[in-house]
Amino acid sequence: MIRAPAACLQFALLGGLVLAGCAGPDAGPTDATVRAARAEVQHGALALQRYGCGACHRIPGIAAADGVVGPPLVDMARRVYIGRGLANTPQNMVRWIRAPQAVAPLSAMPDMNVTPTDAHAMAAYLHRSE
Amino acid sequence: MRTPWLRICIVPNERPLPLPFPRTRRERASCRRKDTGVRTLLILAALAGVAALSGAWFVYSGLYNLSATQQHTAPVYWLLNVAMRQAVKHHAQDIRVPPLRDPALIDSGRRLYGAHCASCHGAPGIAPDAFALGLMPVPANLALTAREWKNPAELFWVAKYGIKMSGMPAWEFRLAEVELWAVVAFVRTLPALSPQEYRAAIAGDHDRHPVRADAPGPAAGADAPRGRIALQQYACVSCHVIPGVVGAASPVGPSLARIGSRKYLAGILPNTRETMVEWLRAPQRVAPGTAMPDLGVSVRDAQDIAAYLETLR
Repeated sequence: MIRAPAACLQFALLGGLVLAGCAGPDAGPTDATVRAARAEVQHGALALQRYGCGACHRIPGIAAADGVVGPPLVDMARRVYIGRGLANTPQNMVRWIRAPQAVAPLSAMPDMNVTPTDAHAMAAYLHRSE
Repeated sequence: MRTPWLRICIVPNERPLPLPFPRTRRERASCRRKDTGVRTLLILAALAGVAALSGAWFVYSGLYNLSATQQHTAPVYWLLNVAMRQAVKHHAQDIRVPPLRDPALIDSGRRLYGAHCASCHGAPGIAPDAFALGLMPVPANLALTAREWKNPAELFWVAKYGIKMSGMPAWEFRLAEVELWAVVAFVRTLPALSPQEYRAAIAGDHDRHPVRADAPGPAAGADAPRGRIALQQYACVSCHVIPGVVGAASPVGPSLARIGSRKYLAGILPNTRETMVEWLRAPQRVAPGTAMPDLGVSVRDAQDIAAYLETLR
């Protein structure tokens, strides 16, 4: 979703080519939605940093996120379960990030008052295709 | 640029040869005189390279049929069979066999066999269960195995450790040594046991199901290497990435990388040896709703697993 158009752009720049299908209307996600998705992932990285998630979790790609209080957040796009037995969907990720105690009472993961926008962006970052 | 064998096989008039196969007598003589074996080695290396490449091509082509309805080709079947038989003989050679003729031991073995073995291997006059009939290889008829394998230690070894990729599971973490020997003692009576006798014998067995003895074997302090094996035997590897365990690469649950340094387990327990044992044995009680199932881990096995996990710092 994110890489393929980037590769197309590189081709276009390098070879001076406009590859049919890359930017065409049938290419699936349009430039605008791709840019929006990328922006959300970047926002997610910032949010993960700002809320201090790295103090407890190791998060690849986030500076100084090497905590060992909770589990490492590696390969999250492929994880099947998160939190307390939640299926790893974007909605559940948002739910877990915003209100861990509602999912798992007594959980050591604190409720950080994450806004819906930030939580969605964090989920987008964690679920991005690497 | 001349390669070593070119220099070795140069005829007096300096004409380079269509090497590495000299054609004329003079050329051959020249080579015989000077061949230091380098050429032979190079040819062998080239052949090995070709063989390795064709092997790699065959594997990646996906042409070999791994379905359980298609038996191996005859040479592969023969090879696997020989390898299995030899491996069992080799690994069982130093096992000391206890007396196996005690009727009480055989009796206990029959009940264990009925509970754990008959569903795959069948019994005199009794077919294996439906799922077992679809296994490849189909589980052996143990009356024949018992007759042909002279050393009971071999039956014991297979029952205890299982056989990779054959469908035969290891019972090391499920049955105590004495129970495994009881099964062997009973299996040894199979060749002489008629279907009528077997049916009569199991008639009263139903309400006397064997109960698994907790913590088989002596609990002599936590054993981290054994815990590493237990991680495989309790299927931990099918849900967790576990450093140091080959094949533990599945991200169903969280990775156990650096679990020894982790502050909390399941998000609620402070991480100590005791709480790890508690969590491993009863995840559903510790964290109701967790996707981690209760796996019937014995105290000893949980302690060994915890000891291994502590090493992942």
